[in-house]
Parts: sequence; structure tokens; C-alpha cells
Amino acid sequence: MKKKLLSLLLCTVLAATMLAGCGDKPAANDNANSTPSTTGGEENQGGGETTPATAEDEPVSITLGIWPEDTLTEDIAVHEGYVATMAELHPNVTCVPAYYKYATDTFMPMAESGNAPTIFESWFTEPTKLINANAIADITDELDARGWLDAMNPSIRQLLSDSNGRVYGIPRDGYALGLMLNVELFEEAGLVDENGYPLYPKTWEELAVTAQTIKEKTGAAGLCLLAKDNAGGWHFSNIAWAFGATLCIENADGTYTSNLDTPEAIAAMEYVKSLKWEYDVLTADPTSEDWGTGFTQLGTGNAAMYIAANDAVNQPTQVNGLPVDKLAMCGIPAGPGGQYSLYGGTPYMFAKDATPAEINAALDYLEIMGKAPVATDASVAGMKADAENKVATGVPVIQRFPCWVNQDVLDAEAAIVEEYGNVDPKMFEAYFEATSGAGLRLEEPGLTQDMYAELTKVLQAVLTDENADVAALMKTANENYQMILDSNLNNAE
Amino acid sequence: MKAAKSNKDKFKKRDFMGWLVMLPSLILFAFFVWEPLLENIRLSLCTAKMYTITGWAGLDNYIKVLKDVDFMAAFTNTFSYTFWSLLIGFVVPIIMAILITETVHLKGLFRVGVYFPNIMPSIATIWIWSYFFLPGPTGVLNILLGKLGIEPSVWLNNPKWTIPLIIITMTWKSAGSTALIYMANISGISPDLYEAATIDGAGIRQRIRHITLPSVLGMAKTMLILQIISVFQILYEPMIFKNGGPNNASISLMMLMYRYGYRDYNVPKAAALSVMICIILVILSGIYMKATAKKED
Repeated sequence: MKKKLLSLLLCTVLAATMLAGCGDKPAANDNANSTPSTTGGEENQGGGETTPATAEDEPVSITLGIWPEDTLTEDIAVHEGYVATMAELHPNVTCVPAYYKYATDTFMPMAESGNAPTIFESWFTEPTKLINANAIADITDELDARGWLDAMNPSIRQLLSDSNGRVYGIPRDGYALGLMLNVELFEEAGLVDENGYPLYPKTWEELAVTAQTIKEKTGAAGLCLLAKDNAGGWHFSNIAWAFGATLCIENADGTYTSNLDTPEAIAAMEYVKSLKWEYDVLTADPTSEDWGTGFTQLGTGNAAMYIAANDAVNQPTQVNGLPVDKLAMCGIPAGPGGQYSLYGGTPYMFAKDATPAEINAALDYLEIMGKAPVATDASVAGMKADAENKVATGVPVIQRFPCWVNQDVLDAEAAIVEEYGNVDPKMFEAYFEATSGAGLRLEEPGLTQDMYAELTKVLQAVLTDENADVAALMKTANENYQMILDSNLNNAE
Repeated sequence: MKAAKSNKDKFKKRDFMGWLVMLPSLILFAFFVWEPLLENIRLSLCTAKMYTITGWAGLDNYIKVLKDVDFMAAFTNTFSYTFWSLLIGFVVPIIMAILITETVHLKGLFRVGVYFPNIMPSIATIWIWSYFFLPGPTGVLNILLGKLGIEPSVWLNNPKWTIPLIIITMTWKSAGSTALIYMANISGISPDLYEAATIDGAGIRQRIRHITLPSVLGMAKTMLILQIISVFQILYEPMIFKNGGPNNASISLMMLMYRYGYRDYNVPKAAALSVMICIILVILSGIYMKATAKKED
């Protein structure tokens, strides 16, 4: 009797929970538990006669994952201003702040349960993965209706599209890798010209020597090189290009061939190895450095140079305390194979269950933020508010890397940099020179993250073992990467 | 009139109450353990976009895991973790427990002392140890050894030492709590035995060898399999220390699973690997059961 009752009960409970698990509830009640809404700002802000609301008058509520985190009070104030403008121009839209820092381990459950914010920022590495997983909204139609599709920098658009050309995000910023310099350390090492500008390295050979001088004179590392996670492989691919390597070949039949063990790629890896064992100019443990710690090392004066992009100038300054006038940027050094700068875009993306009305409302918000390819009064006001905030928090106001191609936006941005510029443009001249020419290059094609993972393993090996056989390691990496390509792309149905 | 009837009634009522008390945990178990477990097995046999199943895959996911370039490294490392944890971590708590029980003065202090690392947040522990293990002249251990005139070492960056060093930090952190269990066990031994042994002229070594150790043996066997099961699922220590590096020297099976699931968003592949880990653990537990059962006969 007892046993029967027990098994009966267990079965019922199991069945009940399974059914509950299978239930596919539409997640309509997102905002039931979210933070207080901030609609209804009644201030009369500038920018009266801009674009009218996109004709939908039924109330729409959007959750803003792009809201700044709680500690950035100045940034929040700027966004509150945007919300007020939004309330004025689009009174039917309720904006719910929902700060969300994209992370791979939190995003999937949020998206699957319908709790992902309507709009959020992601990383440059994520689009392909998120598109393949059906985790984000297709916004092609909304962008097309606004005429934004053609305003997008074509190669950045490609990064945010699937194989059918459907677009899944819009760029927040374009970025191109360059070299960030801690000017304080350059000054301390005496590596400045008569006007006080840093004598930046133009080739990788020069970089090694410069780094050595800095280490000798200041004790700080010359260069912060990453080797903890895939960011290591990402930076290395840019170094390898300078040595003449192409790391993945896209064949005419649509297959990919791994190309990691060419003499050029091996030479690049040998160079990296020499930075550790011959020149000894790296931070104490490159295998513990990732994107974030790199900025800490640079910003706090533990390293003089770091491969980074213009869209992250707030990292060494605002986040890690480097005075705004002590940051300079130059292009990625050249090598025997030429000078290249890896470029891409940091995307805004949209929850997969967002309705067209919600997506449109979120795009309106971006317009007010000044991150859209329009130069309306409201968007220019948004750009100005952003620039003012940057000046106040000690972030360099510099040109953005053009992710939109329409001239009026570019002009408006240039005017704002002119007006609010808080740094000496000469400190960034070399960077913008290097990234305006033919050296721009998109990431390698074909499961790039897996390639980065393989390269990072080699980096870890050569940076921890003085006797590491670079050619053999690159050969193994090449075989592994080819195997991944074959099983996931080349022979996939 | 009441007394005759109430006996049965009472029993039923008590029975019902018992079930009622159990119900919440049964529901929780079913919802949070059994259902996800079954669902996980189902997922491992399917293709999916995120968690949404899109089709049947058979054993494809398992084959993909076996063919993964990092699988062999993770597989051997996981056994290596288990081996080193038994070698380093298994006897330490027993020794600690015996030493503390034999201590006469300041017993409480030592007890708190060995347990203390256990109350520290894991991430904090790892960060502290990371500073100790930093290669180059700025690492704490290198500074300390430098005072003794010993050359700086690269510690975790030497692939041969990555796993044993990680195990040492884990032992440092968790030996105390296991030692407490042994201490409880030892304090349960009848003092008569010790008294009798002392009267018979047994010294401290003989008392430990013939009374204490045999008494904790049963507990030690249980702790052995628990330790194997928990170390086999090692995840965050290698992830935070070296992210599985250098060059896969510390990657574990659970880390690989985490990467499939959360870095690549490939849930079915992660599910397949977790089922494989489960099978390995069932086999190990089976071997253990068989081995210990024989001895008890």
C-alpha cells in the first residue's frame, strides 16, 4: 500500500513537472517585475520638429538593456535625458531601464525564457553564433523601412547578417585595432619628441626595442599581450597579418582551409615568443591577461602599450584612472607583410521575441542617443549629451570609426568632436592615419572563434616554455582547426 | 469507543502527515533534479537551437564530443585531477583530525584554524593563490623564496605542475571541513579502548595504528568515493586560475562542457558530454562498490 502510494505520487509529480517544463508560455509579462518605468518626463527639451512617431499609437513598452550600470551615475543622467526626449517625441513608448551586461552564460536562459531586454549590446564575437541559434530578432524590415540598411558600412553590415543577407543588428560603433600608449611611461622612458609626443613604434621590430627601453627605464612592461582566452588569438591574427600570413582560406566551392602553419604565421609566432624570451618585455603573466586586465595594466601604468581599439578609450581612462591627456593611440605596427588593422563593429541587438513596434521604438531610442544614421535635432542633441558626459568623466572625445556611410551623420559627428574635443588630436593622429587607408581588414572567415582558441593555446605554450617548438605547435593548431572546419562547415549538410 | 478506533486513524493521519512533510521536497526533487536529468538525456540525443529541440540526432553529439580536439586533453586531465587529489588531498584531513584530537591545549583554536579557509569565498581563494603563484619577481611565493635565495619559478605556467598546484590549493581550502567529519568520527570512539590499550602498554603510535585508524576506515571509504565524484566534476578552479591553460594543461571535462554550452551555445553537445561524465562516474562508483564489498565479506 505504502509503496504503491509512493510510486503513484512520484509518477504524478514527475509527470506534472514534465508537463510544466514542456509548457510553452509566451513571455508577455516581461516588465511585471522590472524596475520602475521612466516615462512621462514633461520637460520641454530641444529638438521640437524632428521625425514624428512611427505612426503606431498603441502603447509600446521596451526594456533597455543598454542602460548604464548603477555606478555610472553621470551616464544614467544622460540616459534619463534621452528618456525624457523619447517621452516627448514618442509618447506611446514606455522605456524600462534594465541594465544588462551581455554574458554568454546569462544570455541563453534569458532569451529562452523571453526575458532578454528589447535592445542590448553584445560583443563583436557574438553575431554569427546568436544568429545561428535563432536567439535574436531579424530587423531587416524595420531598418529597410527607415532607409538605414544602405547607410550601414557594407562590411559591418555583412558581419551582422546571415547567409541570406537578413540583418540582425546595427553597429553601435565600428572599431579598428590600434596600439594604445600610456604616455606617462613613454615620458618617463624619455621616448618623446621635442613637443612631448610619444615616439611610437612603426614596425614590430621597433616595438620590441621601444618596449625594451621602457622596461629598462621604468620597470613597467613594454607591451601587454593577451593569452588567457580567445582575445589572445584575436590580437595575434592582426600580428600575423603584418608578417604576411593569411590564417584561413575561403575556397571557391565554399569550403574553408586552415592556414595556420605557413612560414609567415610561424614567423609571427616566433616573434611573439621572442618578446617573452629574448626581449622580456611582457607583463608578469600574459596567460592571465584578458581584454579587461589589459586595460587595467595600461591604465594603471603596468604596461606601456596595448593592442586596443578606439571604441574602448573609456577603459584605460574612465575605468582605470589614466588622465585623459596621457593616452595616445597609433596604428598597429607594420611587419614584413605590410600594415593591417583588424576592424569590425560592436553591435546593438534585439530580443528575438520583440515585436516590430518594440524594435521600432528601440530604434527611435537609438536615434535620440545619436547612434543612428540620421542627423536630426534630437540625435545631434544626443551626441552632444554623450560628448559632454565624456568630457566630464575624462574620456577622450575622438572621432568614431565610421560605421555609417551617410555624409550628414559623419559631418555632425565631426562637428561634435571639434566642439567637445578634450584631447590633443595629434595624440591620435597616427591611429586615424593608419586606419583610414588600405590596411583595414575584416576578421578571418570560417569559425574564427575556434581559430582564436587554437592560436591562444599556441600562445600559451610559447609564452610559458622557452624551448617550445613553434613550428610543431602551429602544425598541431593547423590540424585541429582544419578538423573543426571539416566537421562543422565543410562537410556540414 | 474512541480508543479502539483511534489507533488506526491515528496511524493513517500520521502517515498522511509524513507524506505531507515530504511533498515539498519531492516536488522540488522532481522539478529540479529528475526532470532536468531526463530532459538532459533527451537533449543529448537531439539537435537544438538554444534549448529548443529541432530534430533527432542519435549519437551524433556523442561522436562530436569524442572527436573534439580538446576532448582527450580534458579527459586525461580530469583523471589526473582525481589522481592528484587522492594522492595529496585524501590523507591530509585524516592526519589533521588525528593531530587535533591528540592535542591537549588550544584544540578549539586549531579546529577553527583548519576550518577557516573553508569559509572563504572560492573565487577570493583562487585570486589570493593566483597572486602567490604569479610567475616572475612579483609573485608572492617568488618573493618569499627569493629571500631564501631560491630562483623564481613559473608555478602554474609549468604544465607539469598546473594540476598538482591547483589540487594543493583545493586541499588547502577544503581539507578542514573533511577533517571536522573525521574528528567527529574519532571522538565517537569509546575512550575505554584507549584506556585499555594504555594499560596494556600501547604507546601513542600503536593506539593510532590499532584503534584510531581502523575506526575511521569506514568513514574514509565513504569520503574516498565522495571525493572522487566531486573532484571529477572540477570546473571553476581551472577556469579561473588559467582558463584551462597553458595549452590545455588544466582543462577539465566539466570546463569543456561549460564551453560547449555557454561559449558555443551548443546545448546538445554539452548535454552529451554531461551524460558521458555521468556514465564514467557511475562506472567508477560501481568499481568502488565492488572493491569495498569484497573487503567487507
